[in-house]
Amino acid sequence: MFGSKVKKSSGDQVVVYEPDVRTKDGFFRSLGVMATNIVSSRELIWQLFVRDFTAVHRKSFLGMAWVVIGPVFGILSWVFMNATGVLNPGDVGIPYPAYVLLGTTFWGLFMSFYQMSAETLNAGAGFIMQVRYPHEALLAKQIMQALANFLVSFLVILAVLLVFRVIPSWKIVLLPAMILPMLFLGAGIGLFISTVGVVAVEIRKICDLFLGMLIFFTPIIYAGSAAGGSFAAIVRWNPLTYLVGGVRDVVAYGRMDNPIAYGWAALLAFILFAVSWRLFYVSEEKVIEKMI
Amino acid sequence: MDSDVVIKVEGLSKKFCRSLKRSLFYGSLDIARNMLGIPYDKNRLRLAEFMALDNVSFELRKGEALGIVGQNGSGKTTLLRLINGIFPPDNGKITVRGRIGALIAVGAGFHPNMTGRQNIYLNGTILGMSRKEIDEKIGEIIAFADIGQFIDSPVSTYSSGMTVRLGFAIAIHSSPDILLIDEILAVGDMNFQNKCMSKIADVMAHGASIIFISHQMLNIQKICTKGLLMEHGKVVKYGDVSQIIDEYYKQNSSGSILKEEEKKKEIVGSTGITCKSFKIFDSKGKETRGFGIGDDIVAEWSFNITEPLEDVVVHFSMADGPYTYNGYVSSYDGLKIKRLDDKTIIRLIIRNVRLAPGNYSVSIGLWDKNFIGSYFWDYESTGIITINANKRLQGRFEFEHQWEIGVAE
Repeated sequence: MFGSKVKKSSGDQVVVYEPDVRTKDGFFRSLGVMATNIVSSRELIWQLFVRDFTAVHRKSFLGMAWVVIGPVFGILSWVFMNATGVLNPGDVGIPYPAYVLLGTTFWGLFMSFYQMSAETLNAGAGFIMQVRYPHEALLAKQIMQALANFLVSFLVILAVLLVFRVIPSWKIVLLPAMILPMLFLGAGIGLFISTVGVVAVEIRKICDLFLGMLIFFTPIIYAGSAAGGSFAAIVRWNPLTYLVGGVRDVVAYGRMDNPIAYGWAALLAFILFAVSWRLFYVSEEKVIEKMI
Repeated sequence: MDSDVVIKVEGLSKKFCRSLKRSLFYGSLDIARNMLGIPYDKNRLRLAEFMALDNVSFELRKGEALGIVGQNGSGKTTLLRLINGIFPPDNGKITVRGRIGALIAVGAGFHPNMTGRQNIYLNGTILGMSRKEIDEKIGEIIAFADIGQFIDSPVSTYSSGMTVRLGFAIAIHSSPDILLIDEILAVGDMNFQNKCMSKIADVMAHGASIIFISHQMLNIQKICTKGLLMEHGKVVKYGDVSQIIDEYYKQNSSGSILKEEEKKKEIVGSTGITCKSFKIFDSKGKETRGFGIGDDIVAEWSFNITEPLEDVVVHFSMADGPYTYNGYVSSYDGLKIKRLDDKTIIRLIIRNVRLAPGNYSVSIGLWDKNFIGSYFWDYESTGIITINANKRLQGRFEFEHQWEIGVAE
């Protein structure tokens, strides 16, 4: 447990703390240890999730409604610019407000995977100095929170889609599997930021800005076909074009333009996540020291 | 490891950094090295770094209670955090057998918007209890915390004492094999402190081992069998608790005992009045700091005063933390001191002193006639007196007494 050496002897659990135990563990072993820790701290994850999910909304009048109000108001400016003719998104096949609402919802999911993961260590700041427990649990809890918020807003947004007479494809049932690469990419970047961000604060800010700008290089507020020139090349090489835009296409049109690119991007996301996960494993103890 | 030993600390060292910026920089460097597997010399102190723990070794056996004492910043809490596995050691090794319950800061992870009852589940889970365990113990926990109706109110409405009550109640009921306690009892009221102490004794009676940090020697004495005195991250002394406490007092007042002359110069009140001499004698006129129960204590002192003072009050007191305070004020005893100058010698004879065995720090003061404004007040450099006895007693005083056991008619 916890990646320290644990020996079972005469019924009592013996734990040994030594310098750099975690660095000595192999790459794949560390991934396994963390996965095991998450499974064994299910109860803690649930308690923390309930604490943060309900507590966030307890003090506000509108409560859960904020989860929906955010995305709906978020698209207003795009819809307005489209309506006035300033924004020419190309042929999106479905009513533009529905298109941009659906796209930004998935984009929001990706960003929320990133942001929630980036807060992993901060989420435990209240007791990380007092109690030893597997901090991977914090990541799991943060991801759960991102998913729960998404689920609530997505159900409402599906209803909005029906108003625009957009019937989602039956392939929507594949959604849980399809968003996994998005999760790995967001959480991979986030976990890296969470670890490094404690000691190098600026990195978090730079990353926030960079990822925030990426929405313009991903076909979310315009159709993929509308991009031209060198801009089109960036869009083509942007993994989010496939991981976020592709998923949106499956829900909206029931098809994915480039499943092979989606596969490569998913593989990339997974590798990035594994590396981040390892970084977290070997360095979180050092990082926590700096959180005092 | 000997199966009786529950904690074994061997050659433990830990570095910290005084400068925040450097600390972050070193942190990034170390993480990069860790990630890439580049070895580096951990013993080398870089600029602004210091040893928070330096080659600390000790053992804790089953059922033992170890008191860690030392001045602020001597590394006590850091040591507890390392044993609890929150920070990794830089050097050395810690072996822990059994479930650790840490009371480093009680109520860690409480959410202000959730009720006390909800927080019991949350905090209990953080401390490693299962839902079933909490279900079983919640009644006991609520009873122990004893905060009445507040248990169903949000924790943000609690007083700090109530938060500690609830936090302690949860932690002590998490049935730890080893309990780490860091000066938390200082918060609750007297009643609750006593309740905690007896609960701790109860947990010990059931075979748990304890590491206890406190500045209250009385509490250390009550609970602990062994002691560890720390200074600047190093272990100064490790052994029987009474030796350690004596050593701690010596450390705190070392200046005044060893360099009486130098200290005298340092006793300077804001008015420029200083203590000229301060001595304590026994009833035979021999200068001493050690007494038995029932002895007379004679204190004699004088002040350096340039301008004679009129209508003043003097006081003398002996204190042991916040628990025992025994003081004498000249005006309370109806004594009027019309004039006090350079040549005045103040002598106080306290007869038949029946304080419990222990160390008491002495303070003297020179005040205006209302005993409000002070010309001189010192409680650090006047040193301590020790009451010794070869018998046990309960509480902080022993009155003269006798037993009579008879048969009913």
